[in-house]
Amino acid sequence: MSEKRWNPVIQRWFDKVLSRREFLKSQAVGGVVLAAGASGLLRPGTGFAQSPPDIAVAKGTPARALRAAMKLMGGMGAFVKSGQKVLIKPNMSFTTKPEMAATTNPELVRELAIMCREAGAGSVIVADYPLASADECLANSGILDACKNIDGTRVVGATSDALYKEMNIPGATTLTKNGFLKDALDADVLIAVPIAKTHAATGVSLAMKGMMGLVWDRRVMHQLNLSPCIVDICTVLKPHLTIIDASRVLSTNGPGGPGKILVENTVIASRDMVAADAYATSAFEWYGKKYLPKQVQYIRLAAERGLGRMDIENMTVQKVTA
Amino acid sequence: MQFRRIVQIASLVFFLFLLVCAVQGATYGIALDLFLRMDPLLVVGTIVGSRAFQLSFLPAIIVLAVTPLLGRVFCGYICPMGTTICGGDRLLGASKNSKGAKRYHRVKFFVLLFIIGAALFGVSFVFFASPIPLITRFYGLLIYPVVTLVGDMGLRIGRSAVELFGGPTIEGTVSVPHYATLFFILVFFSALFFASRVSRRFWCRYLCPSGALLALLSRRPVWHRAVSSDCIDCGKCASQCPMNAIPEDSPEKTYHTECIICRKCEKICPKDAVTFPFGRTKEAAQEMPSLSPGRRQLIFSGLAGMGAAAVSLTSLGSLYGQTGGVGIVEPPMLLRPPAAVPEKEFLSLCVRCGECMTACPANALQPIWFDAGLTGLFSPRLVPRRGACDPHCNRCGTVCPTQAIREVPVPDRRWAKVGTAMIYHQKCLAWEQQKRCMVCDEVCPYNAIEFQKVEGNPVPVPVIHEERCTGCGLCEHHCPVRNQAAIVVTPLGALRESRGSFEEIGKRQELDISLEHKKDMENQGNEEGTAPGFDAL
Repeated sequence: MSEKRWNPVIQRWFDKVLSRREFLKSQAVGGVVLAAGASGLLRPGTGFAQSPPDIAVAKGTPARALRAAMKLMGGMGAFVKSGQKVLIKPNMSFTTKPEMAATTNPELVRELAIMCREAGAGSVIVADYPLASADECLANSGILDACKNIDGTRVVGATSDALYKEMNIPGATTLTKNGFLKDALDADVLIAVPIAKTHAATGVSLAMKGMMGLVWDRRVMHQLNLSPCIVDICTVLKPHLTIIDASRVLSTNGPGGPGKILVENTVIASRDMVAADAYATSAFEWYGKKYLPKQVQYIRLAAERGLGRMDIENMTVQKVTA
Repeated sequence: MQFRRIVQIASLVFFLFLLVCAVQGATYGIALDLFLRMDPLLVVGTIVGSRAFQLSFLPAIIVLAVTPLLGRVFCGYICPMGTTICGGDRLLGASKNSKGAKRYHRVKFFVLLFIIGAALFGVSFVFFASPIPLITRFYGLLIYPVVTLVGDMGLRIGRSAVELFGGPTIEGTVSVPHYATLFFILVFFSALFFASRVSRRFWCRYLCPSGALLALLSRRPVWHRAVSSDCIDCGKCASQCPMNAIPEDSPEKTYHTECIICRKCEKICPKDAVTFPFGRTKEAAQEMPSLSPGRRQLIFSGLAGMGAAAVSLTSLGSLYGQTGGVGIVEPPMLLRPPAAVPEKEFLSLCVRCGECMTACPANALQPIWFDAGLTGLFSPRLVPRRGACDPHCNRCGTVCPTQAIREVPVPDRRWAKVGTAMIYHQKCLAWEQQKRCMVCDEVCPYNAIEFQKVEGNPVPVPVIHEERCTGCGLCEHHCPVRNQAAIVVTPLGALRESRGSFEEIGKRQELDISLEHKKDMENQGNEEGTAPGFDAL
């Protein structure tokens, strides 16, 4: 993997200019976050029946279940505003077909992109950094085909270092810097849409594990310690919305399979990536057994570090059948 | 524009088009190695060296067959090396013909005889001087990557500009291939282009052994230069002939072995005395001067080639007389491309054109320096750290002009085992550092790696099923351990067969290579019986 710079001097100048821009932007985002927090305070979760749940769970075919879950969450308009840039992060990192349940359901990704556009998104980018040949992964996963005719939407296999920006991770415990996909950093709205599956190294692979697909150097994460590194990158890449594809669940032999597939016809949605991951962990059987969220190291660490909640027993969960 | 220029440029463009097709993996039903198979020395040298004739060599046979009729039209109209050098001459401003230079014309015959002499001993030196492989390497391994680099830089600058000033999003990426031994190609071609200061078409006049081979057949071509009695001996043609094929003192004569029928003399003659008639004219019948070297010199060149071959056959790494058993010193980690024929045969067939390297979509095939000795110079090696062998690809075999890499269907190609993966336990994150890393297993399409629990290690560790491993190198490529990977492919167990189905042979050797193997990770959890990757309560 090359990390060539085309001209160090000019690059440094660009970096400087960009970091200033980045700073201004982060100020703006901070303001938005503050406002959101305030509105949350004004709207106690136990109060009105109308207020969205912490976690929405919908059963049905992927597209309809997604619509139903998002209705519970207050509609896509609560997340995507007119003209905003949206980055959708599915799992399309394997050369297998969707039926093998190693990659996100293409129908779900398609519907998600359409809904973002309906909510007024200026542009939608569907991106992942596949391990295997990007062309093959994008094609075989069915996601490229599913999204190619959606106006204002493009599917990216982000395999070039030029697409990433090297950044320090403030407050990291383990991974202090890495390259992050520029499109993800620039996006106004980041949506994680992983498939629910087992992972031999981390127990399960869900939204947070999936953020590795927006990161340039994954090798160093394995070298250091995978689970705390996943939490570190999630402090930079915090999805505003997490949609977990549990239409098919790869219950054994993940992440690549082939393994046992549970047909659950479920879509899980939450503002809180940790909560979504925690819920999915406890909702399905992995290798024939049930597990608690705290048995997944990265979920436990993320909750400890305040990135989200894993105490699903104290959260509002609304279920619906589409 | 002149007819010959149009043909020349069209031919070069077609050559480059085929090269781009090889890069893109598109064939449009054309043989991508067509130009290579038109190279007379490549074909003659390979036939002599490997003692085998292949029907695919027909294009060069045709080139050789038309030469007594049309002279060296291949050199003047078709050869992309000639056109490239011609273009270089124009760009750099070539020098005028000088007297006395003609005696160096014979050097190319020495080169030819040297190579044929070595080929008689079964050693291929074709790659040192055969023009089409050289020019294929020049464009494929040197120019193409630079073009992609410039494209990539353009994209980066464009993206930065969009970030700064706004504008439409720039999509797409350019992958820039990287190659070894570029320094050689750079120096070699720099020298050739610079040689235009010495003379025009320096390579074609003095060095090209393929040209020499054609010269032997064009002593009295049917299509030839003829000069009428209108000639005033002005000597203009002699001084401007790009091949220096006209004697200064008697411009009515022609060295037909040197003439490439470019017809420049016809165009510039102030008296229109020069024509290029077909058939046995009066002019053709007159005594023609010759630039061919003496028989003794030719024999010496051949003997020198044989001598060089003999020395290389007695070098330590040579496979001469070593078909099996002990005492063989082989390069320890040299992986050949999948479906490469047995090494001895491979070295005699491979012409080092670099076509396989250009075509490899993973950029995994690289030319080597002296890893396999002098006779292995610039031959291809699979470098998994750079790129791994795609289980759905067989491009290297489809573009190989001499079938040193066999063209076999993709399913059979998977059985053409390149080597076997091996784990350095001391470097492995799971074995040594007890970290939960399973990248090698995750990427192995053949399911040849199993994670097992071993005593004293809290995390499961990788173990290789050698019979399932085809040596594709995806594990080595993706291993997160930097520099020297913790899992490497060694040539152990490579299947090198000249004929027959790899699947059949592999099965007889109890190999079990398949993309359909089921996984079973159930046993990878920890002691408390939890599933893999989960913590105990």
